Amino acid sequence: MTRDVVRALERALGRERVIASAEELIAFEYDATIERGQPQAVVFPDSTEQVSAAVKVAHRYDVPVIPRGAGTGLSGGAVAAVGGVVVALTRMKRVLEVDAVNRLAVVEPGVVNLDLSRAVSPFGLYYAPDPSSQRACTIGGNVAENAGGPHCLALGTTTNHVLGCELVLADGTIAQIGGRSRDVAGYDLTGAFVGSEGTLAIATTITVRLSRLPESTRTLLAIFDTVDDASNAVSSIIASGFVPAALEMMDRNIIRAVEPMLHCGYPLDAEAVLLIEVDGLEESTAEQAEAVAAICRANAARELRLAVEEADRALLWSGRKASISALGHLFPNYYVLDGVVPRTRLPAVLRQTYEIAERYGFAVANVFHAGDGNLHPNLLFDEREPGVTARVLEAGAEIMRACVAAGGSITGEHGVGLEKRDFLSWIFGEDDLRAMAGLKAAFGAGEQYNPCKAFPTHHGCGEVTQAQVQRAAAAVGADLYV
Amino acid sequence: MSDAVATRPVDAFVAAVRAGAAGARILGAGLASFAVDGRAPSVAVFAGSIDDVQACLREAHRRRLAVIPWGAGSHMALGNEPAAYDVALVCTGLQRLVDYQPADMTVTVEAGLPLAELQAMLATERQFVPLDPPGRDVATIGGALAANAQGSLRHTAGTARDWLIGLTVVQADGTLVRSGGRVVKNVAGYDMSKLYIGSLATLGVIVEVTFKLAPRPAASTTLALACDSPHGAAMLLFAARDAGLAVEAAEMLAPAAAAEICGAARWSALVRAAGGASAVGRSVRELRENAAGMQADVREVDAATAWPAWRRRFAGRPVMLGLSVLPSRVADAAEALDGTIENATISCTVSAGVVRAACDATDDAAARAAIAAAREVARQHDGATIVGAAPAAVKRDADVFGPTRNDFPIMRRLKHELDPQRILAPGRFVGRL
Ligand SMILES: Cc1cc2nc3c(=O)[nH]c(=O)nc-3n(C[C@H](O)[C@H](O)[C@H](O)COP(=O)(O)OP(=O)(O)OC[C@H]3O[C@@H](n4cnc5c(N)ncnc54)[C@H](O)[C@@H]3O)c2cc1C
Repeated sequence: MTRDVVRALERALGRERVIASAEELIAFEYDATIERGQPQAVVFPDSTEQVSAAVKVAHRYDVPVIPRGAGTGLSGGAVAAVGGVVVALTRMKRVLEVDAVNRLAVVEPGVVNLDLSRAVSPFGLYYAPDPSSQRACTIGGNVAENAGGPHCLALGTTTNHVLGCELVLADGTIAQIGGRSRDVAGYDLTGAFVGSEGTLAIATTITVRLSRLPESTRTLLAIFDTVDDASNAVSSIIASGFVPAALEMMDRNIIRAVEPMLHCGYPLDAEAVLLIEVDGLEESTAEQAEAVAAICRANAARELRLAVEEADRALLWSGRKASISALGHLFPNYYVLDGVVPRTRLPAVLRQTYEIAERYGFAVANVFHAGDGNLHPNLLFDEREPGVTARVLEAGAEIMRACVAAGGSITGEHGVGLEKRDFLSWIFGEDDLRAMAGLKAAFGAGEQYNPCKAFPTHHGCGEVTQAQVQRAAAAVGADLYV
Repeated sequence: MSDAVATRPVDAFVAAVRAGAAGARILGAGLASFAVDGRAPSVAVFAGSIDDVQACLREAHRRRLAVIPWGAGSHMALGNEPAAYDVALVCTGLQRLVDYQPADMTVTVEAGLPLAELQAMLATERQFVPLDPPGRDVATIGGALAANAQGSLRHTAGTARDWLIGLTVVQADGTLVRSGGRVVKNVAGYDMSKLYIGSLATLGVIVEVTFKLAPRPAASTTLALACDSPHGAAMLLFAARDAGLAVEAAEMLAPAAAAEICGAARWSALVRAAGGASAVGRSVRELRENAAGMQADVREVDAATAWPAWRRRFAGRPVMLGLSVLPSRVADAAEALDGTIENATISCTVSAGVVRAACDATDDAAARAAIAAAREVARQHDGATIVGAAPAAVKRDADVFGPTRNDFPIMRRLKHELDPQRILAPGRFVGRL
């Protein structure tokens, strides 16, 4: 069976676009989580037609199809949970069109997020959603996860910036959804497709909105002696009715991980820092920076540093951008969580997070999109400790529950994927999930289409996550616990 | 005879709703005001609660009665002729404020509340939902969402999809389903809420919504820049956009519209600078300088008259047309349209590629001519046209949404999945779904 599928794929795409040997497949068994799963084959199409041809083969042999971008996903979305054909889109990385006047670009899905912004910067434009993984992750992966980033606070996440896509559906049919404007007649299929985690179709071209680089940008580092003060400052800034361009928080463990390496100026004895950015017209950024500084002072900020020059701002940001990867300097392994709470509940839920981690005996490092209420607690651990993975997952689940109890959600940007399927029922009832299944059916994406993702565990997926997670914990290296 | 009447499904429906939906009022006569495209329903149900909406749909579904949900009725002109219409389900009784947390900048309300009332409440906290659809200030939130109605804020704030973070709908069979939530960032589950925006209630009845909110700008100034050509006006607007000026709304008006709304019968840019006082000051200064450089006349106009006048001119007109073209083609398209449709009021949100035309066509032939002209202009400018209002007889000949595309099979299956009996506003949507 596997051999037939591989042969058919080779016939359809050419041998050079298919890999199927055990050694070569290893690199495609995981993403940036601790999930693992071996596909039967990985294909590397160059065009929409080739994607369609590959999907048709999988459809004919009734084997799973798993779309894949750069594999930086943090919920196991690109992992072949129960085998199948991985469609890797990394070779489709052309920027097909930049229309500066109309502020849009048409790109292939494998274009790396930062490369797109670089490609349009000569026009004074950029692509706004900026996940911290933007040097590696692809626009296709961003669309699938509805990726966010530090600058999504004011400008919105991926969904606010995608106008349309060309899709290859589960049976290999090609369809266009959306267009070059928002005013396309019909149901907003683009809106429903963004964030569908590779479970509805494969995007083979994507039309995005571009934004204008601001005239003036000011970055403020606010330093606090307690996490409570910092999170109260966040709540006060939002409550003041002003939405900064970015509002990020890092706590002591993050500071200890990044500062010795990067010397970005975060004091090692601080309990928390806020990185706050305002942008726009020169006149307003000066005013806004002052207003934000005043709020921080009122919330007991012990020190404020303002960066205006590009190099100074970049230094302040460097610590934020390297936060997660720097955690390896503190502990062999770390596990990234992604929860959301209403912004007034940040102080309370952060306190709970520390309390839960401590109860389980873990250190926790928090670096997150505070302005959106989007938490990323990282649980630090050493996989060599027996039974530790199960405890990490338990502690993680408890933190997620705390987010839900505060009126929040189990994921703000990383997706449900393999990891959080069974948490969905905390926020959605059966009827809600049935309606979502209706959308999947409308796209013609059956059981074999990226199976075991995004919906509560169903027949056939069994214990994929649990068993997988535990085996993986023993098998994978520290750098995979991103 | 009376026996035959008594067994009509509608009568059985009325009896069942009476029994099952305590808060609902039922109207069996005088239903002309609930006519859609000239067709009146057999009964109108006024829901007093979400439970009533559920009961009404459950009973209608059981009997395969066609239901068209109503808000205030200000956007009922949009849509194809209904294929069937038995029950008007009036949702204006759903007005509960469910949750408002000013410090979180989110609000959850029932969908029958007029948008204007919500805005008035939010204004006390200096917040708002950046949606300002044309029309008298009666449109309900649910109606405005189902019609995806949008006004001058489209220029900066996008559309409802950019502000809606959670949605509760009642499905055709009466089931209540939720998507999204009350937090501003959330990717749990498919983002189903997007599907109902602009769906004309063909997938479900919107009963409760959660918006994220924006702060009200501290200062605002409205200018009218009168130019010699649409290209001049568009150029001023592009310059303002590219300079990043604090412009909240920017409409380009054709001469007739400008005369009605802000004075001079010339191609004009009606611009509202808004934000912090110093940003507004600088923006107004640069707008004036740029205009002077192009020999355009600049006048400050009274925002409290100009913008409501603009909204009124694009609501309730017998023929309304919405063209979508790329922003760079707007000036050409508007000029072409101005030359071909008689007595049209034309306004364009240039940055979004939106060209609106409204007219009071005196008969069906004039309406047909206007639609044909708009479609031809759109075709020449690689755009598309949606007919927002037209006489029923005219709609019968042509799908108001224009031709379907290769994603239509997905839409048809979606309709089938969520409303298999086709009882929700049947025939009204794209491809007469
Ligand atoms: C260090 C680090 C920092 C991160 N920071 C952020 C952050 O700030 N914000 C954030 O949102 N995320 C962040 N992430 C998560 C991750 O980078 C994003 O989810 C990203 O969008 C994934 O892109 P990818 O190309 O790696 O996709 P993959 O991991 O390869 O795939 C992700 C999902 O997308 C699907 N998919 C991929 N391409 C397509 C396509 N063309 N069509 C349909 N489906 C497709 C896959 O099936 C899978 O379900 C971070 C990850 C790391 C490792």
